[in-house]
Amino acid sequence: MALHSPQFGSGRFEQIISQFFLKSLHIILDSRIPSLRPHAHSGELASISRVRKSDKWFSLALGDRPTTLENLNFWHRNVMDPMIIDVILVHERPTYSAVDNLYPDSGSGASSETIIERWVVQYESLKTMVPQLGEGPTSYKKTYKKSIILLRSLYSTMRLLPAYRIFRKLSSSSQTYNFDLIYKVSSFSEPLLRIEEEAMKQYDFVPVEALPGRLCISVTYCPSLFGFSLEPSTLLPPQIITDYVGSPATDPLKVFPSAEKGSCATSFPSRGIQSPLSMSFERPHSWTSGLHRAAPFRQNQPLSGSPPTYRTPPMPCDYPSSPPDIYGHRTQNYRQPTHQKGMSFDEYQLSPPFSPSPSPSPSPSPSPPTYFSGGNPLQTRLRTESAPVSIPLPMTGRSSRYLTPNSSDPYRHSLPPMSPKSTKLDLFSQESPSGSRSFRKTDVSRAAELHCGSTNLHSGQKVVSVIKDSRDDSGRFSGLVSSSGSPRIGFSRSSSRLSFQDDFDDGDFSCPFAVDDVDMSNSRNRYLCFTPICPLFRVLDGKEALETTSQVFPMARKSQDAAVGYLVQMLRTAPPLRQDHGCYSSQSSKTEFEGEVGADSGFFMPRKTEDALEELRSYREMKNLLLSQSGTRVASEEQAKSTAFVG
Amino acid sequence: MNCEVCHLKELEVEHFEIREILRYSNSGDIYFFKHENESVDLVQCGDSELEKKIEEKIEQFIGWVEKHPNKKSQICLSFYEVKSKQATWFVNKTERLYWEQWYINLNVTQPPKAHSSKYQHPKVIVDPGESALEERSVRRTALEVSLREVLFQIIKFVNEKKDHIPSVPNHGGVSFPYEITIPSSSDSSFGMDMFKRMLQTGHPTMLS
Repeated sequence: MALHSPQFGSGRFEQIISQFFLKSLHIILDSRIPSLRPHAHSGELASISRVRKSDKWFSLALGDRPTTLENLNFWHRNVMDPMIIDVILVHERPTYSAVDNLYPDSGSGASSETIIERWVVQYESLKTMVPQLGEGPTSYKKTYKKSIILLRSLYSTMRLLPAYRIFRKLSSSSQTYNFDLIYKVSSFSEPLLRIEEEAMKQYDFVPVEALPGRLCISVTYCPSLFGFSLEPSTLLPPQIITDYVGSPATDPLKVFPSAEKGSCATSFPSRGIQSPLSMSFERPHSWTSGLHRAAPFRQNQPLSGSPPTYRTPPMPCDYPSSPPDIYGHRTQNYRQPTHQKGMSFDEYQLSPPFSPSPSPSPSPSPSPPTYFSGGNPLQTRLRTESAPVSIPLPMTGRSSRYLTPNSSDPYRHSLPPMSPKSTKLDLFSQESPSGSRSFRKTDVSRAAELHCGSTNLHSGQKVVSVIKDSRDDSGRFSGLVSSSGSPRIGFSRSSSRLSFQDDFDDGDFSCPFAVDDVDMSNSRNRYLCFTPICPLFRVLDGKEALETTSQVFPMARKSQDAAVGYLVQMLRTAPPLRQDHGCYSSQSSKTEFEGEVGADSGFFMPRKTEDALEELRSYREMKNLLLSQSGTRVASEEQAKSTAFVG
Repeated sequence: MNCEVCHLKELEVEHFEIREILRYSNSGDIYFFKHENESVDLVQCGDSELEKKIEEKIEQFIGWVEKHPNKKSQICLSFYEVKSKQATWFVNKTERLYWEQWYINLNVTQPPKAHSSKYQHPKVIVDPGESALEERSVRRTALEVSLREVLFQIIKFVNEKKDHIPSVPNHGGVSFPYEITIPSSSDSSFGMDMFKRMLQTGHPTMLS
């Protein structure tokens, strides 16, 4: 098409035609798609003061063009291709079919899409028309003038058709509806069904001559929309979640409190189906909005030589059926492994693993539940293989309640407030899967050390669990002590380092022994073997100690500050120590110790250098003993892990 | 230049709906207003001065309607070009060449009164409030349909006839020069208005 010839105004025609396409597209989308409108103009023309240069075309200022329009500039290249704009109404379809009955949780109806308007803007080339040479310079002016009138007529017509009422409803921010308007722009579209075409009316605008062709606009529209169930949505309005607990994708090891009904899938309120009271969760999660913003699951029509379909993110009022279906299905899949593995931890209310992306996307991007489900069996296997043992809660009053060595322990939040150091350990344990697994691996090895150390002791003998101190190396602060006189463990601490609650900021987690939580209510079988050199040990029953040692690795997460504080409390209220030649205990030193304990937060015990050196030697012996025993324990643990994974 | 005349379909409106009058001009000044029940949405013109002038004319028209109840009325919207005539000794005349005229026909009705009691069945209790509301709703729906038909009529007319439109004036205004007249505003002044118009311009039908 020779539009660039001088007799036609050196490309002016082409410029007018291309801008005509863009302006008509802008008018149509601006009057039909609420999400594309930057402001709620409510039908008003943009003020002249805000008119941009590009918006001055055809003396019709509409405001800023949506970015999607900028991407549809391929019509600039080939103005001969028609531009077909389908305005599609997404609405609920009543469930009358048997297929819908198979999925009772799909909501009140599946979403359905109906083309309610089809606009066709094209430049028809009239081959029979001979360009008038004498009208070259002024012909494009006439074309431009008539195009102005045509576009203004188009603008007015957009507001007279029935679809504009739907647009007005959607544009109102005060209410949400169970329908939405989307669009599709293409140069080729499938013909309408005969039934649809018969029910629709057509209106053709008078073409504008743009030599050697003409600009044409036509519309096929539904004259009445009463057949569609266009109702306000009954969904909960968007609300701010003040107690956001995170999603499994970001916080996978976090366990949510169990509901009274037990484990059940988080439900998303379908439109008009589920009331807030019937929801298992009292509050919505932040990821629910993403589901409602998911586009309907509809296969895009194949476009030949046309840009991809631009589908706006739907309003949070629609698309009820499929996302909840998928979510519910995934939740089931997600939960099955946990039940099958027979996890020992309490039932907990799972947060939806389906965490769609909030960005406009045709389909939600769910969080990968496989990780979480994979992680749980791992934990389960570890625990089962390592003889999961409950650790009594400190000062919680739950005498029969034992903490499972589970980072997702639902009662971990009820523990005493953690120290900063312990908090760091907790964070470390809730990191990415690799991080948590590495942590567990480390803890297992350390637990193995401790367990090995405990197994070397005489069974039934009272052993002392060691409080884990991340600051201290194993040489300085570790070991198990037996009341029967087996390897002594000396503990030496300087006074400045006895205030555990103060300095937990430095040092790595190097101590292999975890903090043990002791149930104060069940203290009759427990008593401390305190020595001036090992004040932080407590005596447990042999069985508990064996169980405890295997649970050491999760204790790293517990508050060492709290544990130390607890020990301090125990020391202050401890019964008289047992006389043991292995322990540095004497009435005088004990008295001094008690006096010192009551004085300050630390343990200030007068002693000689010789005693300190002796204590150091005993620590070294104990360290070597534990290391040798841990080597065998780690090997056994690793073997157990490998077999569990295989299983 | 031909003067295109368009007589729009008659709209039956109530007194309080007079203000909600739609006016189009094919120059691009589109006047829209919101119907009370927001069933018809229109676009406003961007010229405040134009709107002010229109409001004045509407008030004038309402005044006439109040003096002449239950009468059919008409509003004429004319677009013209200003041509300077040959100056004479006394008058430097300018000529208005009308190239388009729109006649908006209105039939202003009074609100129905309550039914007299003698026509009521003794056993039938009629709530005048509900019936009046229903009747009003029916009338409003019919007006909505009529208004849409009129608007489509305008769009169709505007699209079909474009050749007679002159060039857009460069005086900075947003529209062609226009004139709003109420031919039936005053029986006594009607003739004077017509005489004045004839002095200023020729008869529209004489223009070619």
